[in-house]
Amino acid sequence: MLEVKNLTVRYGKKIAIKNATFNAHNKEIVGLIGADGAGKSSTLHAIAGVQRFEGEVVFNGYAYHSPAEAEPLKSQIALMPQGLGLVLYPDLSVKEHFEFFKRIRGVKDDPAYEERLLKMAGLYKFQDRLAKNLSGGMKQKLSLICTLLHRPKLLILDEPTTGVDPLSRRELWEILDETRHAQDIVILYSTAYMQEAQQMDKILLFDEGEIIAQGKAEELLKSAEPYTYEETSCDECFCFDKRCYSLKPLPVPHAKPTLEALFFINALKKGKKETRFQIKPKKVQTPPIIVEAKGLTKRFGDFVADDHIDLTLHAGEILGLLGANGAGKTTFIKMLLGLYPIDEGELWLLGKKIESYEDRIELKNYIGYMSQNFALYKDMTIKENMEYFGKLHELPSKTIAQKIEELSQGLGFAEYLDEFPTSLPMGINQRFSLATAILHEPVVLFLDEPTSGVDTIARAGFWKLLHELKRKWRISILITTHYMSEAEYCDRVVVLKEGKKIVDDTPQHLHELYPGLSFEEIFINFYKETK
Amino acid sequence: MRLGAIRAYMLKEFIDLKRSKMIYLVYLLPIMILILFGYGIRLEVTHARTIVIDQDNSKLSIDLAHAFMHSKYFDTKILPITPDEALASMKRAKTDIIIIIPPSFEKNLLKGLKSEIGVFIDASFPLRGRVMQGYVQGVLLNKASEYLPPQKIPLILINQRLLFNQAMRDENAIVPGLIALALLVAPAILAALLIVKEKEYGTIFNFYASPLSKAEFLIAKLTPPFVLHSVNIFIAFFIATYIFDVPFRGSFALFWVASELYVAVAVGIGLLVSIITRTQIAATVLAMLITIIPSFLYSGMLMPISAMEGGSYIEAHLFPVMYYSYILYDTFLIGQGLQSSTIILYLSILALYGTGLILIGSKLLKKELS
Amino acid sequence: MRAFWTILLKELTLFMRSVGLVVAVLFFFLVDVYIVGNDIEIEPKNVSVGYVDYSNGGVLSKKILSHLHAPEFKKPIPFQSHEALSKAIFDKKIVVGLIFDPDFQKRYDAGGATQLNVLLDSTAATQSLLTLNYLQNIVLGFSSPKFPIELKIHKLFNQNSDTKKFMPLAELLSIMTLFGVILSASVFVKEKEQGTWDIMLLTPVDSRIIIFAKTTSQVLILFFLTMLSTGIDLFGIFDLPLNGSFAAYALMTLVFLYSIAGIGLFVAAVSNTIMEVAQWSVFLMMPIIFLSGAWTPIYSMNIYLQYLAYLSPLRYYIEGVESILFRGTPVEDLWLYFAGMTVIGAFLFMVGYRKIGKLF
Repeated sequence: MLEVKNLTVRYGKKIAIKNATFNAHNKEIVGLIGADGAGKSSTLHAIAGVQRFEGEVVFNGYAYHSPAEAEPLKSQIALMPQGLGLVLYPDLSVKEHFEFFKRIRGVKDDPAYEERLLKMAGLYKFQDRLAKNLSGGMKQKLSLICTLLHRPKLLILDEPTTGVDPLSRRELWEILDETRHAQDIVILYSTAYMQEAQQMDKILLFDEGEIIAQGKAEELLKSAEPYTYEETSCDECFCFDKRCYSLKPLPVPHAKPTLEALFFINALKKGKKETRFQIKPKKVQTPPIIVEAKGLTKRFGDFVADDHIDLTLHAGEILGLLGANGAGKTTFIKMLLGLYPIDEGELWLLGKKIESYEDRIELKNYIGYMSQNFALYKDMTIKENMEYFGKLHELPSKTIAQKIEELSQGLGFAEYLDEFPTSLPMGINQRFSLATAILHEPVVLFLDEPTSGVDTIARAGFWKLLHELKRKWRISILITTHYMSEAEYCDRVVVLKEGKKIVDDTPQHLHELYPGLSFEEIFINFYKETK
Repeated sequence: MRLGAIRAYMLKEFIDLKRSKMIYLVYLLPIMILILFGYGIRLEVTHARTIVIDQDNSKLSIDLAHAFMHSKYFDTKILPITPDEALASMKRAKTDIIIIIPPSFEKNLLKGLKSEIGVFIDASFPLRGRVMQGYVQGVLLNKASEYLPPQKIPLILINQRLLFNQAMRDENAIVPGLIALALLVAPAILAALLIVKEKEYGTIFNFYASPLSKAEFLIAKLTPPFVLHSVNIFIAFFIATYIFDVPFRGSFALFWVASELYVAVAVGIGLLVSIITRTQIAATVLAMLITIIPSFLYSGMLMPISAMEGGSYIEAHLFPVMYYSYILYDTFLIGQGLQSSTIILYLSILALYGTGLILIGSKLLKKELS
Repeated sequence: MRAFWTILLKELTLFMRSVGLVVAVLFFFLVDVYIVGNDIEIEPKNVSVGYVDYSNGGVLSKKILSHLHAPEFKKPIPFQSHEALSKAIFDKKIVVGLIFDPDFQKRYDAGGATQLNVLLDSTAATQSLLTLNYLQNIVLGFSSPKFPIELKIHKLFNQNSDTKKFMPLAELLSIMTLFGVILSASVFVKEKEQGTWDIMLLTPVDSRIIIFAKTTSQVLILFFLTMLSTGIDLFGIFDLPLNGSFAAYALMTLVFLYSIAGIGLFVAAVSNTIMEVAQWSVFLMMPIIFLSGAWTPIYSMNIYLQYLAYLSPLRYYIEGVESILFRGTPVEDLWLYFAGMTVIGAFLFMVGYRKIGKLF
């Protein structure tokens, strides 16, 4: 049994988590959910004994108050920090990792157990493969079984599934489930996927450095029920995923909440309001087909990043390009944009066949691009960033000033104009990057993982914004994401798996094919078929 | 102390170094320093472009001019041009030395009258200017004294005995100092990188979250750079004696022991660097900054320690370079060995230095996030 | 043109905002140049001298010793015996040992050749060579009134062969080269790392203008630093002469910085992280500096190295700057240096542009 009492972690003056108190029982999986920077990682680090803290942690009767005091417990603890394959050494093979972790933890050889772990993770056949050549899902499964090697009594997993394909995510979960049935173990598990959280024995909801709610999923959902309604138009409320959340009663029937509801209700209770986006309508003339790619292929040495992919983007369409990290999404977008050479295949942009660099020059003004991690200059304020790109897009200074005013108001970041991107939450950076990408009013937008690392509320807002853009400008959008559930907001989705296209369909049609299943589950089916 | 854990960690380091190709850097960097600087720093000047303007055209003057033709130090041309033309050529950096033999040089000399030879030297590179001046003086005075009338002039002749480096070879003077540079810079960078790399990638969690003790971690991390760079001691010895022909007069055992201690000092510096930096780039830059300049200044390669004063004299004694290079120059060129009490003292200072750095480093190393 | 100024101004702003970098470059261009110029002395200075006088306090030995004075020599230290002196040299306490034989004075007075014994620690080859030179000049002074040939030596351009006038210049040139490569490579690689380079390539601005503007920003920063260092350190503290035209010096510096930025652009094209930039810079730096002729005269090098030296932009610059500052070479004789650097720079820009400046 794990007891955490008044745990506080400070970084200088900043408090990462304040007075966290909770219990976890044997064979329980406790889920930690909340936005980036809400204090989940700090809590997990403190409990793992790698971070100084105030307060007390008691595990199976042994109390500790600092990393030094936690030292005797370390042979029973396992920590898997956040980040894909973070604890792996790229140049070591699967087998070598096993050896390494076994030896540094002084574990005796147990071939039967090791074989079982490898088989559970589906790595039995790949024991000689170097970690750098494993897919994202395989990396996470390897990290997990490496932490299980010494049969820990306390397993601490920090977002082990972020960026991992849905099938691997499910397999990872199965490993955990099997482990906790076979041995005594307490598992702490933070995640950004609410579908996962739903399966946990207990959920801790983090917000701005505090645990604001804890309990079983059903209990928490129940607490949200009074505030959850069917989709409608309303003031002082948040609407997302076919539901609306409001503290005041709405004249529509209640709906069944999901765990996301907790974030919205918490925001409402803190007096936050949904950002209303205002975008001026505009008329544009575009050809009916914006992007037409036939058999696009990209190789890096022996590795095929994209394998003969066909894709069509129609005018005024939001096309979601889904897939796990390393599935080939970013490479594909970079080929479309000309940032990588195309090894094989043909491409038409805005009705023009692309054969050389010259073909792209005149198209530049019609294309908007927002890259991974919202790449903008960190040492320039938001306003300076926008002015800079405006000038490079050859807009007159007057227009630029006008546009910054209009977009910052419309997209809800006007009060942050003179701040530096590094001091702002991800959600704000995300919106201002988008504003920068549409300054020159392109007819097509390429968005590479605009929603990763962004909290639920900001993600909900962002999708609204994209639909607003589509409605007002008839803009076409190609967007990549590793959240399978975001397929819901696309007009059509293409799913990539290890460089190959495995799905190309509309969400409606997919729902008809698999009635009653979530997108997560639908894609798992596709993944299984192509395995 | 669990030997199995240490061995596994070390094995991982070696595999990683090999597969990430960083192993090349381990051997390439010191070799490059030795070869490039060894060939690159030449204070001796050869083939100085010399113009002789012979305004006398006598047997004696021609003879004198020819004395410059047969020397590796000069590339001499005897040209019938005016001094102004020669000077213009020097201004365009085409000529380094101009020698003007005046009219009736031979006549005057035979008569015992004083005559004046004009020498112009491009001293834009001052040291080069000085060196060339010495050469020119030597050649002219030697040659001229052969023609002196047999009259009595009181002369002081210098009977020089050059100790340690009779041929006055630049290689002998510089290469041992370069060994002190190479064996400090390279192990320090490697030791720092091995730890900082784990911090930057996040694999440091494997140490933080495991029962591995600080001592075990340090042994596992510091042994590979120490062992790998121990090989460089022999490579450096080979390069110095075979490629640069530097003599070796002392005891190899002394050289070897002192070098191992010195590599341990370098590894200790690397450890301290890794504690205060977070990224590989910062670690590399810092390690280079605090090793390269002191090595150049205090190895005695460019300036003898005995010639230092005040601040720099004290600084020289604070850095480990001086102690090691003293032993280096002794083993290569002098050969006193352990008979000299200074060497024993310096050897113990190196040992203390190494242990001290590693002890401080292990005190400062934290087994938690900071 | 507006795009050019926008990018240029932005890069200058970003540079000014990275306080750590500004402090670092100021340190290297001002303080480090000063330290090296002031501390590294290759010429004999403060050379420690010891002597044994077996000639029993003859006037001649005293006279010779009195010539060994500061700044070149420390006050000579008397020793009791040859052995004691030898030991001090072996222990590196003494660099030069003089031994006056018992009949030293007598033979000189007799009007014949007498002999001065000199022991030299030649582990420092240069200092010992130059010290020997000094001694030769001193003793020559004693006999010269009667010696029939007089050498009239003119050391041109740097009369006192003052290393204090040369070392800081050499250091400044190395620092310009190192920072030239690193800064101009980093402006591109930082954008590659952060992903903004892709966005830049997708703006409608011609990427040649982007590359030229970014490069120019760093060239201007380096130019400003060089002029600052020239003014404060070279002319101010170390009192270097300026025998040629300052305009030519400034222009040559600018051309040199562009050619070095060309190398930076090449480095940027082949590296993806700042770490790789650092590695490339160091590996390129050493040959560039060694082939420049700063340490070894090019005409003293192996013939193949002499050909290779044509590829080092620093070679043209260092010779050009020496010519302007010290030799006072007229401007029209400098064209070769400008041509050499321009050709190298232009070639590297072409390669760099092709590698990173294009969409496919």
